[in-house]
Amino acid sequence: MLSIKNLEAKVDNKHILNGLNLDIKPGEVHAIMGPNGSGKSTLANVLSGKNGYETKGEIKYNGENLGELSTEERAQKGIFLAFQYPLEIPGVNTNVFLRTSLNSVRKARGEKELDTLSFLKIVKEKSSELGIDEKFLSRQLNVGFSGGEKKKNEILQMKILQPKLSILDETDSGLDIDALRIVADGVNSYKNKENAFLIITHYQRLLDYIKPDFIHVLSKGKIVKTGNADLGVELEKTGYANFI
Amino acid sequence: MKNFYDFKVDNIIGISSEEKEFRNKELNLFDKNGFPNKREEAWKFTDLNTILSKNFTNITNDYISLKEKKFELIKEFDHNYLFILDGKLISNEFKFEDKNKVSIKEYDYKKQIFVRNQNSLNLLNNALASGGYSLEISKNYKFRKPLVVYNHFSESIKEQIISYKNSLILNENSEITILNYTDTDSKNNFFVNSFDCLKLKKDSSLKNIFINKNRCNCYFHNYQKSDLQHNTTLDNYILSSGLKFNKMDIEINLNEEHAKSSVFSALSLSSDEHQEIKSSLNHNSKNCQSYQKIKNVLNDQSRGVYQGKIFVKQEAQKTDAYQLSKALLLNDNAEFNAKPELEIYADDVKCSHGSTSGSIDLDSIHYLKSRGIPEKKAYQMLINGFLSEILEKLPEDNLKKFLIEKIGRQINGY
Repeated sequence: MLSIKNLEAKVDNKHILNGLNLDIKPGEVHAIMGPNGSGKSTLANVLSGKNGYETKGEIKYNGENLGELSTEERAQKGIFLAFQYPLEIPGVNTNVFLRTSLNSVRKARGEKELDTLSFLKIVKEKSSELGIDEKFLSRQLNVGFSGGEKKKNEILQMKILQPKLSILDETDSGLDIDALRIVADGVNSYKNKENAFLIITHYQRLLDYIKPDFIHVLSKGKIVKTGNADLGVELEKTGYANFI
Repeated sequence: MKNFYDFKVDNIIGISSEEKEFRNKELNLFDKNGFPNKREEAWKFTDLNTILSKNFTNITNDYISLKEKKFELIKEFDHNYLFILDGKLISNEFKFEDKNKVSIKEYDYKKQIFVRNQNSLNLLNNALASGGYSLEISKNYKFRKPLVVYNHFSESIKEQIISYKNSLILNENSEITILNYTDTDSKNNFFVNSFDCLKLKKDSSLKNIFINKNRCNCYFHNYQKSDLQHNTTLDNYILSSGLKFNKMDIEINLNEEHAKSSVFSALSLSSDEHQEIKSSLNHNSKNCQSYQKIKNVLNDQSRGVYQGKIFVKQEAQKTDAYQLSKALLLNDNAEFNAKPELEIYADDVKCSHGSTSGSIDLDSIHYLKSRGIPEKKAYQMLINGFLSEILEKLPEDNLKKFLIEKIGRQINGY
């Protein structure tokens, strides 16, 4: 599904990613762990198509060259990034945003756009699964939401858009234990053989709930170690020092 | 240097010699300085004289013979209407109201109200105005439906100045919402210089909205003089994007206790449009409130100006006055100028002012795009979001829906 070869990324002439390789197949859950400044969020941003990065190397997504696709095309083709810091957008109603987003994706896929009623049905169902109060959805997008509410809103968007590749950038940060469990349940219930996850995290905590197939340790812009779920437990005990 | 204008009082038909004398005096006063330029405080950011001289070869006040004109009524909401063609009152209909409670006439220039201040366009209006209307609403009468003033300009108008005065009197405890709806057939440059005199008597309330049906090459100037008595409310909503030039000069006199007034504006400007709001909120009595919130979205080489003044007389204790302007600049060539002015002589007042301008937040655009929303749509959503604070304050459901839809089209460049 996703194949990254020798990816380099620079911002303002500062090298952040230095030859990163990664292969993700449908149905797999990959976790990327690493210390601050190792390039985790840069990887997420580059995959989402954010401007401002100078990149080299190859990223193929379902055979297509990702670098040639705009951010919105990537989303329409099934790449979803749950933001580390979801943005507050004043004046934009959450429901209107969700509907515009879903219909943009549907339109790009050649599906019929949804009318208000069928849309609301979907939103109602997905938001109740995540324990999101419907009142939130009539508020301005993320404005005045708590950290946990913002993260739940990201997972709600994921469940509505039904992406093939979901990248969760530190979705666990700022969540209390209950919210963490709800978010993890949300991810687990969406997981299937067709879609894949790339989970970026600092801590083992989230991986107790969402079991990864692979854990990669990122250091100085490169993957320095890959292992199975046990690697996370080891990291939790020993820290990153042994790997970097 | 050859002047780019030629105004003659003799071109105005059917006026007495007394009136002619008054008008000539006003025209002479105007001629001393001509059109305003930046030397005048009220025009600090705008040299109208230069703007007009570049865009007109010879503006005249030649008499315009009116041709019969059919016009389309707005279907989206029930309303009463006045139909004004090139400044002249042509027809009216108040089918949703008790007709005995509404008086509508042509403006009577024998009893005209005029101002002479640092804005020389008022002198020009005194000299050249004809047409316009006088509307009076009876005591205790509240309009059931809004009134739309269809302000139509003919296709044949070219290089002309159209001047008129309107008068509106709201008697005690009356209420009305007015939509000033400008609709222009002319593709040519022309100038409109109008004067509105509003009198709000005790406990009355007026919502006054300005919007255009379409883009045009018109240069507009409107002076609004409002006098508010005890416990009255005047809300102005300026949504008049789409004009080549527009200046709304608003003088609101809060003359008696508990008078309240707001100026709201949501503008979305593009190409070389120029829009200017100058307001004077004069707190002449205690316990009055004023609120101003101006939001401009500026694209291309458009320009926005806001000169908001709050004046508080010594006896106007417990004044509560607020003003804020915000500009969203979408292009490096667009410009927004704001000059808040506070002149306060009372010592127990609450007055605040602020002004910000900035560009669109690219991280927010990225966020929306990352959800599959195309870039153009993402921009529209953010612009709409920026203006929504004003749009939410618009009155009456169906009217509001109509206006929001119009503004959505303005954002997309009509």
